[in-house]
Amino acid sequence: MNNRVTRRGFAAGAIGTGLLLGTGRAPALAQGKRDLRVGVWGGEFGNLSPVIRYDIQGGLVLYNIFDSLVQIDFAKRTIEPMLALEWANPDPLTWRIKLREGVKWQKGFGEFTAEDVAYCWNFHIESKSFQVGTALFPVDSVKADSKYVVEVKTKLPFGAFPGVTMGYGGTIISAKAHKEMGNQAYSATPVGNGAFQIDSKRGTEITLVKNPDYWKPGFPKLDKIVYRAIPDSTTRLQALVKNELDFITHPDPKEVGAMRKNANFVVKSTPGWEWDFQQFNLKAKPDAPWQNKLVRQAISYAIDREAIVNEIYYGEAIATDNQIPAGYMGYRQPLLKYPKNGDLKKAKELMAQAGVKGYEVEVITSDKDWLRKELELVAAMVSQIGINYKIKNMDMGGYNNLWLNQRYDQVLEDITLVAPDPDATSWWFLHAKGMASAYNSPPMDGMLDGARSELDQKKREAIYHKIVDTTLEECPLIYHCNTSNIQIYNKNLKGFTPTPQEYIEKLDTVEWG
Amino acid sequence: MWRYLGRRLIQVPLVLLVVSLMTFLITRATPGDPVQIMLGMQTSKEAADAMRAEFNLDRPLPVQYGLWVARVVAGDLGRSIRLNDPVTTLLAERFPVSLQLACAGMLFALLVSIPLGVLAALRRNSWIDYLCTGYTVAGFAIPNFGLALLLIWLFSIKLDWLPITGIGSSEAEAGGFWTYLKPYIIPAIALGTLQTAILTRLLRSSMIDVLSQDYMRTARAKGLLPGTVVVVHALKNAMIPFVTMAAVQFGYMIGIQVTIEYIFAVPGMGSAVLNAVVNRDFPVIQGFTLVISLFFLFANILADMLYAVLDPRIRY
Repeated sequence: MNNRVTRRGFAAGAIGTGLLLGTGRAPALAQGKRDLRVGVWGGEFGNLSPVIRYDIQGGLVLYNIFDSLVQIDFAKRTIEPMLALEWANPDPLTWRIKLREGVKWQKGFGEFTAEDVAYCWNFHIESKSFQVGTALFPVDSVKADSKYVVEVKTKLPFGAFPGVTMGYGGTIISAKAHKEMGNQAYSATPVGNGAFQIDSKRGTEITLVKNPDYWKPGFPKLDKIVYRAIPDSTTRLQALVKNELDFITHPDPKEVGAMRKNANFVVKSTPGWEWDFQQFNLKAKPDAPWQNKLVRQAISYAIDREAIVNEIYYGEAIATDNQIPAGYMGYRQPLLKYPKNGDLKKAKELMAQAGVKGYEVEVITSDKDWLRKELELVAAMVSQIGINYKIKNMDMGGYNNLWLNQRYDQVLEDITLVAPDPDATSWWFLHAKGMASAYNSPPMDGMLDGARSELDQKKREAIYHKIVDTTLEECPLIYHCNTSNIQIYNKNLKGFTPTPQEYIEKLDTVEWG
Repeated sequence: MWRYLGRRLIQVPLVLLVVSLMTFLITRATPGDPVQIMLGMQTSKEAADAMRAEFNLDRPLPVQYGLWVARVVAGDLGRSIRLNDPVTTLLAERFPVSLQLACAGMLFALLVSIPLGVLAALRRNSWIDYLCTGYTVAGFAIPNFGLALLLIWLFSIKLDWLPITGIGSSEAEAGGFWTYLKPYIIPAIALGTLQTAILTRLLRSSMIDVLSQDYMRTARAKGLLPGTVVVVHALKNAMIPFVTMAAVQFGYMIGIQVTIEYIFAVPGMGSAVLNAVVNRDFPVIQGFTLVISLFFLFANILADMLYAVLDPRIRY
């Protein structure tokens, strides 16, 4: 394997050594402290409006400004009320949503009502926003049936409505504020209905202050949160250790072990809705060896998933072989078919059974450090069954260009999904019409469409079990692991509850102890 | 000189036009679709088409470029595809930070290189000269990110004297002068060390050349104080190429900050351009490149003007 020293590796090593050797500064005194300094990854914060596409670090802030219609009970794997108190579908194409009363928009923009929901979703549809393809594609019409009741007509029965449409699409904008401010100004300084409201925003720093009219009595506990985007994970961690920050996300997994030993800080690591996977292009090159499912199964058996978890993520991930992680409807267990350490004997048998002695294939990945290393590791694993991976690293723009246009033979990549429904983890990757799909199987399409339109959640769950089993058998994608969302924070902070969903780190319950 | 300045200023728009056209063509020739990057895989054709139309990406390339130029002439650099902010707003946030960091780096370079260059020339072939030469070799050889990490380890982690982050943060701006200044010290040293090496070497050789001139012997023979001889007669003349080079290097410093910005979480222009390139955020790449080019052009013009001011023999 390639052991060259990269700039990033050198940086991590040098400062990591400092981290271990240096004592760090004792965390700030907690008494009377009511503000929080949060360091997140990424270069800058962008748009904060739910009606314009936002990225993950923007989402971390957005979800503290806006409450959603529903929330997820990760333990029960159910969708629970938040701003929507109850919902029902009197017929397969109609959903009626009853809203919570007494929720106020920030900065005096009045009460949150059904008119806001109708305005927001209609704005998405009319402006053809990103949500038209994600959460609102089944919606035909939306109207306010009364002050607190929204009626939605769908084009087709949509079983994922509570999780996808009301979940991912359920952050609503204030109609009055949006009309008064305009789409551009609202995007920079949005008016929400969540625990915190925006105080100031500059490229890499956003300050939120307590929403005095928040509908949950006694919350939020903090008066102010300052988010700073710090791209380098080692710098972020060092800033925390030096008391320049109180809370950070996305540390380098390599450093997490040392931080666990530091009594001044708390480390939370939660397996997230992020996957590392390999994908085969099964829509092109019909004579290629990987068109044979036995070859794909052999590759899956050749993968030592535990080695990936330990070598690449330093244990901050869990090995998985399927697309439905904990917290999602349809979840059973992380490994359903393929052993965590692989089965080389079985892999070789499958290759022999397929009549394939070995071949060379170009595998592309993006320029993320960990994926480059992971691909090198995986290449070494599959070389044991005679397959030679020609590795090609690309920057994210170049990678997406090939991946989303199916101009590749094989990829290894990671992805974060946000919609809390197995439809999001399967349809887009496996349906012949899915943007990220390179697979064309009418039976699979039938199951995916059936699961989408089934309104009985028990029946949907059973269909997703079949979808997963078929995926494990056919291997159009091979899953390696779910990487963990990691937060490290000052030991005096209380009340933070991590979730598997990377976008949502709500801080309304956080306080200094 | 004024005529020369006028000629140079007239050239500026032409150079910018060429730079902007090159930037435009390079960004469009690079594989990657900003809309695809922005919307990801869970999207629809309608949403992607709407976004392309919003940013004129559905128009033929000459039309896209023409529209962009027309907007720039009207003072509008467009809107970031990824961040949804006007490019001018991003520039207003980022440029002052980059400029301050470049100034801090150049200040460090000048404070170190002038005494070292003079000292090395005056004590030629002595241990002081060898030490200065060793320093310049190290300055050339150590990459700025490596030096940055060593400085962080020493001054932030071991000694706990200086912060790692804080440039451009509201916390630093709300504090006093020292709170504001502190976060600049390590990045400025890391950024300015290469320039220190370049300028020290230049000043040393320039000073050696000047010190061997006849008018220096005359100055000494007139009984002038050694300090006066060195500062007024030698240094002033030796500074001519030094000032020119310093001005050019200052122009460079705006463009080479990206690694330092990354390590110290500096919200400057380099990191903004890097993110824009990765995300194919065309309006930001084009707008920022234009401003960086403009800055570099003015730094060069300034260098030429200073050359004429310092050396009476030069007339444009």
